[in-house]
Amino acid sequence: MDFTITDEERDITTLASQILTDNVSPQDLHQYDSRDITRFDAALWGQLAESGLLGIAISEDHGGMGFGFGHLCLLIEECGRVLAPVPVVPTCLSALAIQQFGGAADSAVLADVVSGKAVLSAAIHEDCNDDIYAPTCEVAAGRLTGAKHGVPYFEQAQSLLVVAVEGGETGLYLADPAHESAQGTALWTTTMEPQSYVTFAGTPARKLGDAAAVTWFLERYITALCAYQVGACEKMLRLTAEYTTERQQFGVPIASFQAVGHRAANCYIDATCLRLVVQQAVSKLDAGEDAATAVNVAKSWCGDASHRISTSTQHLHGGMGVDRDYSLWRYALWAKQNELQLGSTTYHLRQLGDAIAAGDFDIDL
Amino acid sequence: MKLAFTQEQEQLRRDIRAYMQELMTDELRAELHQDFKGEGGGPLWKECMRKLGRDGWIGLGWPKEYGGMEKGPMEQYIFFAEVAKAGFPFPFLTSESVGPALASFGDEDLKNEVIPKILSGATNICIGYSEPGAGTDLASLKTRAVKGDDGYYTINGQKMWTSLAEFADYIWLAARTGDEEKLGKHGSISMFLIPMDTPGISITPVYTLGSVRTNATYLQDVRVHESRLVGAENAGWKVIMSQLNRERLALVSHGPSTAFLRKVCEYAADTTLPNGERLLDQDWVKMNLAKARQGFEAIRMICYKQAYEIAKTGNLDMAEASSAKIFGSEFLVEATRGLMEVLGYASTMHMGSQHNVLGGEMERMYRTLSILTFGGGTNEIQRDIISIFGLSMPRPMRA
Ligand SMILES: Cc1cc2nc3c(=O)[nH]c(=O)nc-3n(C[C@H](O)[C@H](O)[C@H](O)COP(=O)(O)OP(=O)(O)OC[C@H]3O[C@@H](n4cnc5c(N)ncnc54)[C@H](O)[C@@H]3O)c2cc1C
Repeated sequence: MDFTITDEERDITTLASQILTDNVSPQDLHQYDSRDITRFDAALWGQLAESGLLGIAISEDHGGMGFGFGHLCLLIEECGRVLAPVPVVPTCLSALAIQQFGGAADSAVLADVVSGKAVLSAAIHEDCNDDIYAPTCEVAAGRLTGAKHGVPYFEQAQSLLVVAVEGGETGLYLADPAHESAQGTALWTTTMEPQSYVTFAGTPARKLGDAAAVTWFLERYITALCAYQVGACEKMLRLTAEYTTERQQFGVPIASFQAVGHRAANCYIDATCLRLVVQQAVSKLDAGEDAATAVNVAKSWCGDASHRISTSTQHLHGGMGVDRDYSLWRYALWAKQNELQLGSTTYHLRQLGDAIAAGDFDIDL
Repeated sequence: MKLAFTQEQEQLRRDIRAYMQELMTDELRAELHQDFKGEGGGPLWKECMRKLGRDGWIGLGWPKEYGGMEKGPMEQYIFFAEVAKAGFPFPFLTSESVGPALASFGDEDLKNEVIPKILSGATNICIGYSEPGAGTDLASLKTRAVKGDDGYYTINGQKMWTSLAEFADYIWLAARTGDEEKLGKHGSISMFLIPMDTPGISITPVYTLGSVRTNATYLQDVRVHESRLVGAENAGWKVIMSQLNRERLALVSHGPSTAFLRKVCEYAADTTLPNGERLLDQDWVKMNLAKARQGFEAIRMICYKQAYEIAKTGNLDMAEASSAKIFGSEFLVEATRGLMEVLGYASTMHMGSQHNVLGGEMERMYRTLSILTFGGGTNEIQRDIISIFGLSMPRPMRA
């Protein structure tokens, strides 16, 4: 049980934090609060590429840094802390799967991810389908049909990962988002993140892997969203500690009311638990161990902690929490989006319950 | 960061588990299941303590110079958790909390007298902090020790909630020795380690909700030599704080909760409903079990994190340790509720009843949980600690 943060890990966090805090202020984010401008900061994307961070988990053969998934999560956590307007999560997670399951033909796209030329996306959610592991989008003879909901950065993406079913077996596929048979309808998401509803009418799709590959990919994608919320939740908490320490009512800082301090302390406990169970999932995934339960635990915590921290920090700010000239309100949007993305708390608890019913009784064997 | 055990740690856990399973005989269980005997003190329990001492387990984390095994905090925590899973009432306060504080602050004679007895399982120490008027505000205690010219203190006062006093050999006692006006309420307290058979000490039992006996302890003109001071005169607060910090981790280990979860899972797997389905396959049952698991996994990680912090820095991380204490105690109450729902109405039947479920353990368990939220440093103070040290917020106002 070694929780030590290595020098390497610290360096990555510092580098990511520096670039992101230099480039993403609440004023910078303001321009994306309407639908007029796509939430994509190309200059920041370029800087992340230049620093090498986009290739953090891509092997050196493709020009990357050659670190693992855990290191990538450090970058993602920093993205969550500032709500970075760049598609790090879909791009880097899709690249990870392509690297794992793709072939020689895919090295160009990986090199393009590292250099910042390519944005990648993943089509996972479906409308009226409560199970991300049981898609209805279908592949037959190398052609994909069906519809996917909430596909991030579809219009910018150069390549698209798709979770689909073929002959009754779930699999992971690579499709060309620019193909004319793939039609996207732009959505208006709660966070203003660009997403599309995409229909596929015989889109060419190449198989990357079977159900095990889907699990491999989804467990990492889910955990990455949790890492994003670790950063976002801690930021909400810090903003609240600072604001309540400065804000005075009845002649004293409102933080000196025990009711205020205790509600903030509850958020701290949630943030601490979230960080630790996410670290557990990351560590298991990095070690290639069975992480199914750890991922269910992490995402169920992610939903609970994000919801509670978001609503409590809103409350502790009074009116300032909802003021669009202050930064907290945007975190409320991401808390909700990531709570529901890739399985809600209840969804993951049900999965956990199924595992228990199948005999997983022991926390440490 | 690599959150897994070493092979040696895995082996240690298996060894402790096997050892404890052997130790927990049906006869011992029967002794512990008697009302007001659950915390030990009976003849079989005393025998087991001697055995644990002989086999070296009590000294697991103690330095070799005291005859200990000198294992690190992670191994000690593994031990806490496994012992708790087995359901053995190990007197952690004596060996893991008061003992180490005595080793840090006591003088040589006192250490030589008491520590070998602690490590051999031959002695028990009760804690005399709380008083009728001093609970959370411990530093307002009124028990007074007045020093005479002969090097003897005369102690008068009353302690409350002195657990285990009925079979303790010593009392770890906090008393006021200095002038509160001049030295402040924290700077005028001293710690003593006093044999319980010293004339003038008497106890009366206090029976509690959880079938746990505790005591009121009366001190009337108790004469104690200054060599029984632990640390310098009026420097007791530091000793108390060091002891309380160590207590916190042992209080909320994930051991008992995960052991109960396992038992409830097994029960639900073995129980068939009138329609022929397993209890375990009901959606609501799976949800209750999953919610318990969700929280227990976090408790486990937060405890391991604390063990890691102690190993690395020698100290707990204040705000995280308080988080462990609060979440560990409050979640256990909630999870137990959900687990009792799974066991059904029969889970309210006493250990001594016919037709109880899981031997009535849940019925006793729920009655013992409420003390965890205010004992060992009440959760309100823990939340204060988090807001001050974890979030750098100003101290809450006090009247
Ligand atoms: C079974 C049992 C065994 C025990 N064993 C021992 C023992 O062996 N030795 C020993 O010394 N003591 C022992 N105790 C005592 C225990 O440590 C105290 O109960 C505890 O310190 C709380 O004190 P109190 O009961 O006086 O409650 P109070 O201090 O009166 O607290 C009552 C309520 O007020 C709240 N409160 C108090 N101050 C504040 C504040 N500043 N802000 C917000 N809320 C506040 C508390 O959180 C609590 O909810 C035991 C108690 C029990 C029940």
